[in-house]
Amino acid sequence: MKTFLSIILALMLIGGLVWLTSDPKDSGTGSTTTQNNVSVVNGRQIVRITAKGGYWPRQTVAKANLPTTIKVTTNGSFDCSVALTIPALKHRSFLPATGETDIDLPEQKPGSIVQGLCAMGMYSFVISFN
Amino acid sequence: MNGAEQKYTLFIHGMHCKSCVFMTESELKDHPRVSDAKSSLETRSVEIYGRFEGMSLDEIANELSTSLHKHGYSLSTEQEKKAADWSEFMIAIPVALGFAVLFVALQKLGIVNLVNTSQVTYGTSFVIGMIASLSTCLAVVGGLVLSMSATFAKEGDRTRPQLYFHVARLISFFVLGGVIGLVGSAFQIGGTGTFVLGMIIGLVMLVLGLNLLEVFHFTKRLQPAMPKFLADKALRISRLNHALTPTLVGAATFFLPCGFTQSMQIYTLSTGNFITGGLTMLSFAIGTLPVLALVSFSSFSIKDNAKKGIFFKSAGLIVILFAIFNIINSLVAAGWIKPIFNF
Repeated sequence: MKTFLSIILALMLIGGLVWLTSDPKDSGTGSTTTQNNVSVVNGRQIVRITAKGGYWPRQTVAKANLPTTIKVTTNGSFDCSVALTIPALKHRSFLPATGETDIDLPEQKPGSIVQGLCAMGMYSFVISFN
Repeated sequence: MNGAEQKYTLFIHGMHCKSCVFMTESELKDHPRVSDAKSSLETRSVEIYGRFEGMSLDEIANELSTSLHKHGYSLSTEQEKKAADWSEFMIAIPVALGFAVLFVALQKLGIVNLVNTSQVTYGTSFVIGMIASLSTCLAVVGGLVLSMSATFAKEGDRTRPQLYFHVARLISFFVLGGVIGLVGSAFQIGGTGTFVLGMIIGLVMLVLGLNLLEVFHFTKRLQPAMPKFLADKALRISRLNHALTPTLVGAATFFLPCGFTQSMQIYTLSTGNFITGGLTMLSFAIGTLPVLALVSFSSFSIKDNAKKGIFFKSAGLIVILFAIFNIINSLVAAGWIKPIFNF
């Protein structure tokens, strides 16, 4: 009986863990993809990302073949998301607790994906170019 | 005839009762080369005073074992391996998983968003410290604290190493915070450095966690914190180890990969002053103290021996979960694998 209870409890907790850590886009909670954060100014594409307790929006679709700047906004951010890394660009920086940081990207081919992560790896954002 | 009398410490296998102490002592004292013997049930070891010049400890163990075999005991240079008590996992596994769910739920609640200020005062850095201690930094610093304190507690040292750790941590945050405030440049570790550090911390925690489970004995040889061959040589070195290891680890937590610690350090740079910088980092460290102290003194919850195994196994499992979390995160941050956790 004790073994049985223990196994049931363990399985329930594992289920809870999987549910909690799974990607929100799969669980249907929502609109993590927005287009409002992409704009083109003087032939340069600007992608706005907010960094505080993670990166928002998590997924962005941007145009390929345009010089792009990622504008990262922080506002009283002290967590890991200020330690930004973009492995594809070999970019690493510490964002100020409050402020804006521009990261320039070269023109991206259609279908390429740029991922940004916090230095400890638990927050991320993805920009896909098409 | 065989040189000077010396003291040798050996482990007794098959020691299970109070009368075993008397039995093994009297049997050993009958040996011509032994002048005195003192057995201990608690450590399952015996201190032998005798003349065995030119013999290795293993040879002595073999020599003396022959007279103990008829009673079902034997001597060895290694401590007896107790069979793992699998039933303890019945409680330990749900406890560890429950802890993991709580940890993930805390991250999901968005505690990191509780900071709503751009002005850093000593008060806010204290609050940021408290939030940091509940954030994913708990997986790194808390995991390290738990693995270390549980390992020391298992050796019967529950208080002092933990005190050394916390005092060293506070001093180090004040002094190093002051230095970066004064000098104006951070001790920043690059991408490769962060990755290597993260992997080392993950692997050390994994080994310590496996040791706490008392299931896989091969990991005992990998024990990174306290090399047994040193501890065996002299109690003095072992004592030093119990003071030096936690002190160094405590001081080194300043450099551990934790976003909060690093952004506080970046802020401290701008203070341009030793006292302001030092006090900012100190109030941050004091903010992290309640949770970390709770973690490191959790071994006080062991009231009786029956619960001991459950505690160490739960602690071991939690440490292993944190270790896996850290290793995966290091691989993700290096861009080698896709993000698995999404907070």
